[in-house]
Amino acid sequence: MKLLQVALGILTAIGGFVDIGDLVTNALVGARFGMSLAWATLVGMVGICLYAEMSGRVAAVTRRGTFDLVRERLGPRAGLANLIASYLVTALTFAAEIGGVALALELATSVNYLLWVPLVAFFAWLLIWRVNFSILENGAGLLGLALLAFGFALWRLHPDFGHLAHQIIAPHKPGSERLTTYWYYAIALFGAAMTPYEVFFFSSGGVEEGWSRKDLMVARLNVYVGFPLGATISLFIAACATLVLKPRGIEVDTLSQVALPVAFAAGKVALAFLILGFVAATFGAALETGLSCGYAAAQYFGWQWGKFVRPRQASRFHLAVLLTLIAATGLVLTTIDPVKITEYSVVFSAIALPLTYFPILVISNDPDYMGEQKNGRALNFLATVFLVIIVVASVAAIPLMIWTRAGQ
Amino acid sequence: MTRRGRGAALVLLIGMLLLTLTGCVGNARTTGAYRGKAHLSAEAAISSLETALLAVQTSAKGNLFGSVLEVTLSQAEDDFGSVQQQFDSIQPPNTSEADKLRSRLDDLLTRGASTLADLRIAARRDQQDLMVHTAQDVQPLVNKLDALAQATS
Repeated sequence: MKLLQVALGILTAIGGFVDIGDLVTNALVGARFGMSLAWATLVGMVGICLYAEMSGRVAAVTRRGTFDLVRERLGPRAGLANLIASYLVTALTFAAEIGGVALALELATSVNYLLWVPLVAFFAWLLIWRVNFSILENGAGLLGLALLAFGFALWRLHPDFGHLAHQIIAPHKPGSERLTTYWYYAIALFGAAMTPYEVFFFSSGGVEEGWSRKDLMVARLNVYVGFPLGATISLFIAACATLVLKPRGIEVDTLSQVALPVAFAAGKVALAFLILGFVAATFGAALETGLSCGYAAAQYFGWQWGKFVRPRQASRFHLAVLLTLIAATGLVLTTIDPVKITEYSVVFSAIALPLTYFPILVISNDPDYMGEQKNGRALNFLATVFLVIIVVASVAAIPLMIWTRAGQ
Repeated sequence: MTRRGRGAALVLLIGMLLLTLTGCVGNARTTGAYRGKAHLSAEAAISSLETALLAVQTSAKGNLFGSVLEVTLSQAEDDFGSVQQQFDSIQPPNTSEADKLRSRLDDLLTRGASTLADLRIAARRDQQDLMVHTAQDVQPLVNKLDALAQATS
């Protein structure tokens, strides 16, 4: 039974790792830079593993939500600034995910995505309101495994794997691209891999499911096995774009372009799986981001929260989720291109990341909170190195965004 | 205004400024700048045409659902139209080189827009043969746009 739980957790983590940000950013970067920026995805993958492991451990030991602890440890003012920034970035990602589901459904039906947006929003609300937490988490994660169609397509393309690996290990900026653009997209990939909502959702889920110290091993396996395998899907996406789109000079700005390499190499059945994977990954991420917005607000203000109590008992939590859903849906319905929202959301994720990473690092080092479960020396060293990387990426993101006109 | 209100207003202002700075398209004051914008437009146009060509080729192999083909062609056409509109809205400098460049690229963009519209119409009517036949016009256009992009890089 324990083994089944571990396997299910890992599979869910793999399928749930990729969202609209990963889909779009990896394909876009692969089509422009080949695999020369894959290192940014790998760095982001290590970062999200560290961040999620620390958050999960903090949740299991303290049995309290992230923003509850941030407010207590940093004080109400710093906590509020933290909450506002994290909430806005997560809400923007929520809008991108709703748009992503609608775009995936447009691919399946050729009905304009704007007509799907209200339906997607309604179903997202209905599921958040009515459906059991583990069904939400595991269902979307398992269906998201259909994105492995990218791996199948890559195999069917018969690439020179040695050459792809060489591009990853010894990256070279393409001569036609400016250095500033290269670094802008490195930050975008890093932000796409290290989205804070994944960690809020992971740790809040841990509190909801009543994790204790004995659940730490399962949580660690989910993170250290599931997330790297999930990141492999991101590399498959970039590799497919490198092999099919880059030689043709195709710049990715639609979801259909992300799907084309799979259809080209592997046919209709793989494409059907891929579209299912698009819907599952983006819808799952929409549920996670929506819930994360509610978690963040409720944890900070001390409201009753979560899916393990009846909605009536957590009315303010559900109201926060509903209001965020309405705002996110409204943003997509303004007809702003959801892919553009996605491109901005991954960069803003990188900008806001230090705000939640730093307090988690502080708390996971604090023996008053963590006792014997505080960070070990090696982990602490690595986590501190990542704090420096995260801060540098955050500080550099806005100047690079302006300088490169958002990567143009 | 309270301190918190001022903070929120500042954040909003910075956000609006960022979107303005990253999203706007300026005029070209010199021939060199105009050449740069023509280069970017040609590359973006190639991207849309190549997307359409790849979609048609994939469909011809029986690897693409009709819905995906329609959406891909329609979006490629929209993107191409947006490139054409943006390029046409740029005020060129008063030089003969800029005028020649504008005329040359504008002609290619007009032909590309027409070809993409033909592809979209054929796809929606499920006229596979006509679509494949029309797609034969795409590669020569891509080659000419590529030559222009090389010349303006």
